[in-house]
Amino acid sequence: MRRSRSAEAGAASATQRTAAGGRSGIGRLVPRLPILGDLRLGRRLGWVIPVLIVLVTAIVGYNARAIAQQRGSALVVNIAARQRALVERYTKDVLLVVDGFQADPKESGEAVRQPVDVLLDGGSVRAPQGDGSRVEIPPARDWKVRRKLEQDRRLIDELIRTGDRLLDGGRADPRYAADVTRLRVLSAQLSSVSNDAVQEITQQTEASLSRLVRIEIALGLLSALAALALGLLLRRAGAEQAAQFRSLVNNSSDLITVLAPDGTIAYQSPSVQRVLGRRAADLVGTALGDLVHPDDQHDVSISLTKLAEAPGATANFGCRLQHEDGSWRHVESVCTNLADDPRVHGLVLNIRDVTEQAALRKSIGELYHNLARRSQGLVDLQLELIEELERGEVDPDRLEELVRIDHLATRMRRNAENLIVLSGVEQHRRWSEPVPLRDVVEAALAELKEYSRVQVAPIHDLRLSGQAASDVAHLLAELVENATSFSPPITKVQISGDPAGTGYVLEIEDRGIGMSDAELIEANRRLAAPLAADIAVSRMMGFHVVGRLASRYGIKVQLRHSWYDGVAALVLLPAVLLTSAGERPAVAPPMSAGGAVSPDPLLPAESTASGWQQRAYLPLRRHATPAPNRGEDTGAAAKAGEPVE
Amino acid sequence: MAWTRARRRWAWALALALMPAALALVVFLTAERRHEPAPLGTPVNVRLEDFKVQRDAAVVPAGTVSFRILNQGPTTHQFIVVRTDRAPDKLPLQRDGLTVNEDAPGIDFLDEAGGLDIDDRQTLVLRLAPGHYVLYCNLEGHYLGGMYAALTVR
Repeated sequence: MRRSRSAEAGAASATQRTAAGGRSGIGRLVPRLPILGDLRLGRRLGWVIPVLIVLVTAIVGYNARAIAQQRGSALVVNIAARQRALVERYTKDVLLVVDGFQADPKESGEAVRQPVDVLLDGGSVRAPQGDGSRVEIPPARDWKVRRKLEQDRRLIDELIRTGDRLLDGGRADPRYAADVTRLRVLSAQLSSVSNDAVQEITQQTEASLSRLVRIEIALGLLSALAALALGLLLRRAGAEQAAQFRSLVNNSSDLITVLAPDGTIAYQSPSVQRVLGRRAADLVGTALGDLVHPDDQHDVSISLTKLAEAPGATANFGCRLQHEDGSWRHVESVCTNLADDPRVHGLVLNIRDVTEQAALRKSIGELYHNLARRSQGLVDLQLELIEELERGEVDPDRLEELVRIDHLATRMRRNAENLIVLSGVEQHRRWSEPVPLRDVVEAALAELKEYSRVQVAPIHDLRLSGQAASDVAHLLAELVENATSFSPPITKVQISGDPAGTGYVLEIEDRGIGMSDAELIEANRRLAAPLAADIAVSRMMGFHVVGRLASRYGIKVQLRHSWYDGVAALVLLPAVLLTSAGERPAVAPPMSAGGAVSPDPLLPAESTASGWQQRAYLPLRRHATPAPNRGEDTGAAAKAGEPVE
Repeated sequence: MAWTRARRRWAWALALALMPAALALVVFLTAERRHEPAPLGTPVNVRLEDFKVQRDAAVVPAGTVSFRILNQGPTTHQFIVVRTDRAPDKLPLQRDGLTVNEDAPGIDFLDEAGGLDIDDRQTLVLRLAPGHYVLYCNLEGHYLGGMYAALTVR
């Protein structure tokens, strides 16, 4: 059973399809925008968002452009305004030099030219911040500004020429007075023209900014309209999806129930009318426990309590819920703790009605059980016959053959018992008195053909609850047989025991080919949560039988990698099943399927006349040859207790 | 008539094509019609440029005179009319020595057309009595640069 791959491993993976299938371009892209979450958008809405993005981008771009233009214009105005001062300085420098004072009209003349050249032809000027950086000025584009600046440049040229003439001729020049007047007039004209240019630039800037503002207002209005359209379409899309979801919930065969932290039903899907014949509104505010079958209430309560302590966790459980007509419906629930989700703030139960499946399972279980019982009875008769033959046989060769037939029949019987275990019917054979643990181990070994390969280390002198003895022996037999089957015949399988904090651990270790990590995880999963009978169970029957038996008594079984390359199976027998020798045992209650202690005390063993019950695991069947390393005489176990009928 | 998809598309295209034409028609009908008003009195065409004032008549009859001014630039100018018996180039200046002092004795300021940008047109209508007038621009340095002209009204 160990090497078979799990049934799920080969299952085909589900094909995922995008809801946007069939769309193209932005229409396909937009519904996947993460900002929209689960909301799916239609093609029409798909175009609104890009339009909105374009509009907003345009607004941002225009804003940036307006800011840049405003800064540039301010700088240009500043440059143009400075010209007046520069012209006055040049005029003064010329007159000072002509009058014999110190000045540098050449430098101031260059300074006068520079601003106009920059404004007309573009270039870099020193930044007004005074940090030494330079700012690039683009050439003036407006024709009016250009004409005024060109006139400015002409006047400057004439100013410089007049200044040069004065500087060259001095006071002695007969044109001195006329040139001085001309210099002053040109200076005044330049001031006027400069002012005019500044005014023109300012007007152009204001007009441009005003245009930008108008465009931005228009874009803003368009954006508002687009946003409004987007909001309306989103609202419609949301409403459509909500209606779709509501329709799905209302028409689903499953129930969706939200439990408030106090255990009352906070939300109930309307499909409860179909499943339980009750109105959803009537259930809201009531306790879920009121609907649960009394026998299941404990398990359900424990499952929900555990789940409530782990936000985000999911748990499965099955129970029976009462229909309005008084009948009980079997349901399976997948429960998720969404207490941390502010939109839910509770446990969400997805409940499926499995009454028909439960009935089918029960009938299949009964079928298993009846067939297995018949098979088991026949095998028991066969074993009795073989034992009689063994007792009367003196020929060693014939006796050896009989022993092989005996073991084969024993395996057949265990196979039948496995089917009974899987059918869900508990064994009727129980022992009233505790049984020595080592006898239980011996009983398990007696089931095996290759018992001679098993080495049993000394087991502590403990007694196992009589009610659990047969099932534990069965459980150990399955594990040991698995170990012997999947390890080379020349290797040994070792069984050892050791007390643990919460019970007693039996370890079955082989030196076989081992299991991969994935197989080990899958096997442990099967052991921890045995499933109902299905195909996978038939493939890995041993693990399922062990899991079922273990779950009855709260026994934990875990597989690990062995240091000898094989597998070590650890069986933790809980302390409640064990007593030390001479001590009166506690009543060992059987465990329910969910691992909780059943409210029922020990089930009374049923009386039956069938032979297999008399041929219980305990007392041990004798072996033709004693197993090596056996512990005490197995007869001791027979004295420990008798099967209860 | 069934509106098929193709027919609807054509209808849309037609509507879109007609929309600018309809818009243009509305603008044409509603826009203020710009036309030159009939000149009052004697028209005098005045052309301003850096730094000259040119007029097509130096003598006009008394009465209403319409100065139709065109600024050819390349800078902004103003057009001022004063009555004076002084010679046009001998108008009194202000203290800065750059602009005409219109408050000075012998100067009778009549009217002005200010802020004439490049290619701006403006009409200044004045009732002029017989006498001597000077037409000039009084921006800094413009008058001194030669931007004036005499006008005689008889």
